[in-house]
Amino acid sequence: MITHRVTQRSIASRALTGLQGNLTQLSKLQEQLSSGKQITRPSDSPSATASVMQLRAETRANQQYSRNADNGLGWLTTVYDALNSGVGQARHARDLTLQGMSAGTGGSPQARAAIAAEIDSIRESLINVANARFGDRPVFGGTTSGGQAYDTAGVYLGGPEEVLRTVGRDVRVRVDTNGPTAFGSGATQVFAVLADVSQAMRDDPASLAPALDRLDAALQTLQTQVSDVGARYNRLAQMRQTAEDRILTLRTQLSEVEDVDMAETIMRLKVQETAYQAALGATARAVQPSLMDFLR
Amino acid sequence: MSMLAGLNTALTALQAHRSGLDVAGQNIANANTEGYSRQRVDLRANGGPPVPGIFSTWQGAGAGVSVTDVVRLRDAFLEGRARAEHSQDAYLSTVNQAYTSIETVLAEPSDTAVAAQLSDFWAGWHDIANNPGDWAARVQVLQRGSLVADGLRTAHDAYSSVWNGTRASLDALVVEVNGAAAAVADLNETIRRAQGTGPPANELIDQRDVQVMRLAELVGATAIAREDGTVDVHVNGSTLVAGSSNRSLAVTGARGLVEQGTDPVTLRWSDNTSSVVPGGQVAGNLDIVTVILPGQVAALDQVASRLADTVNTAHRAGYGLDGATNRPFFTGMTAATISVAVSNPDQVAASGSAGGGLGGSNADALAGLADRSDGADTAYRDMTVGLGLAAQTAARRADIQSRVTTEVDSARDAGSGVNLDEEMTSMLAYQRAYEAAARLLTTIDGVLDVLINRTGLVGR
Repeated sequence: MITHRVTQRSIASRALTGLQGNLTQLSKLQEQLSSGKQITRPSDSPSATASVMQLRAETRANQQYSRNADNGLGWLTTVYDALNSGVGQARHARDLTLQGMSAGTGGSPQARAAIAAEIDSIRESLINVANARFGDRPVFGGTTSGGQAYDTAGVYLGGPEEVLRTVGRDVRVRVDTNGPTAFGSGATQVFAVLADVSQAMRDDPASLAPALDRLDAALQTLQTQVSDVGARYNRLAQMRQTAEDRILTLRTQLSEVEDVDMAETIMRLKVQETAYQAALGATARAVQPSLMDFLR
Repeated sequence: MSMLAGLNTALTALQAHRSGLDVAGQNIANANTEGYSRQRVDLRANGGPPVPGIFSTWQGAGAGVSVTDVVRLRDAFLEGRARAEHSQDAYLSTVNQAYTSIETVLAEPSDTAVAAQLSDFWAGWHDIANNPGDWAARVQVLQRGSLVADGLRTAHDAYSSVWNGTRASLDALVVEVNGAAAAVADLNETIRRAQGTGPPANELIDQRDVQVMRLAELVGATAIAREDGTVDVHVNGSTLVAGSSNRSLAVTGARGLVEQGTDPVTLRWSDNTSSVVPGGQVAGNLDIVTVILPGQVAALDQVASRLADTVNTAHRAGYGLDGATNRPFFTGMTAATISVAVSNPDQVAASGSAGGGLGGSNADALAGLADRSDGADTAYRDMTVGLGLAAQTAARRADIQSRVTTEVDSARDAGSGVNLDEEMTSMLAYQRAYEAAARLLTTIDGVLDVLINRTGLVGR
């Protein structure tokens, strides 16, 4: 009769293998619980590792997009405030011009000189507005490295380049407004127009009418830019919100792939512990007795 | 039959059962000895004279018992299978251990390792694009670039040191192989002599089996038993041990990871320098130094060269604050050599046009490299996932193989291991038989006493 012999050594080595396996499982679960992660090395799950790395990179990119948008919103706010104040001041200048015109050529030269002086000061103030800065950069100066977009004479010092912010993958939003676009260039440049108005006010009230037309044109340009900046501001704010929302979604996904399910893992740990204790108990019973215990 | 023959029968019984007890004792003593095979006494009943004779006093009862042999219970087939499985087990577990240590080098996935450093690097370019005039943003990009380059170099150095360690252990293993081969040859000689002169050489054969098993684990050796009691050991089809002579192996080739490409590490016979394809642990280590680590380093180099290539191309197109252009950002195209070439933050080419002042379009283009499908991030991710897959496969194969090996070991143990209950039982049997034989002696003595001392006393 051939039976499978069982020897003390084979019992011992089998018991050891079993206990070792149990203990490995136990330590794996322990590691997952203490680190809170299901994946601590690529071989735990190569496909999940790929998603985790992808999700992390995307989260980081979106955080940066949100930062970029914040910076862009700062620029646009500065541009918007400057343009709004510019529009207000230009309107005031227009009112003053009308006031001067209504008095006609018969008005007192002193009164017109006073109006001209006020218009001059508005012009200076507008140049200051056109030099509005975000940080140390003039927002109407494009990419100029200087600190000013216009000099005191109202001459444009900046460049034609756009200032862009990347706020999404391949999504770029312009966050500046080019000086000449907002304040006009050549004959309709608001500073030149105001200088001419002031000049006419003092010397030649008759030529005020064509100057007023030019001032209207310049005002129109400024107002157009205000709405343009407003539209861009909205777009940027939306893109920032999109990036923030995306970060939340990505974090949720990352957590789903990477984090341990506490309840489940604790359950499995308990089950494993019970199995380990059972194995220990069984081993203690199987290894101990021998025929010697029963012979006298 | 002689009256005294019964005494002799009792004597043979006493001797036979004594030796049965001795063997049980030996079995119990070696219940936990590695490689020990249980032994058994072969007894044979002594019959009458084989040739019938007219004046024979033979009455038909036998002439006791004699010990014919002490046999070693071992299944040669199982032994051969165990060698093959142990060899494969040693190979797979060596490879698995290597992957485990290679995986820890990358420390992925995490918030701090190279993948995260790369993301930070690209984010740094965005910061420059936002603020091209900001000195701090420029310094930050230089430092983050250095961090990435350092990360790649550190990984390369770690691979290099794993390589060196494996190469050294390969040397040590081959020394062990040669030692075991010499030991097998010596034991072959001793066993051949012992068997020629008579006494069983069971313990020596056990020792030799342990050495052959070690050779199987080390280089995947196979063994063939010869009629004279010796075994021949083969590696890769060539003889390692034949009778009492043995050959030796040597490792030749590169002593550092960089030389591996030009002078690959090879296992050779010392005598004729032809190469050997081994199995077992040596094969595992050889795989690590010739295939696995060079493969990982090539993947790492790929990441470094993609990084240097894409960043340099984009960086050359831009202009620094000083107006100069066509400057690379990184030097070195391999993981071992890559480092940041730009030292002055002014030279970081953020601007996209010559007179662009504080333009950031080139920094923006550089930041966009993060999304390139042929960029460094993708290469790094592919490398990590590839490594994870290989490590997972290695771990699974090692796990399965270790189960198979345990099964075979347990089958082997079932055949040749010592069962203490069994030994106790045979001790009992031999003890009782010994007692009975002693009683037989007493009985025959009593019978003789009656015959000699109490017979024929009539008239005394």
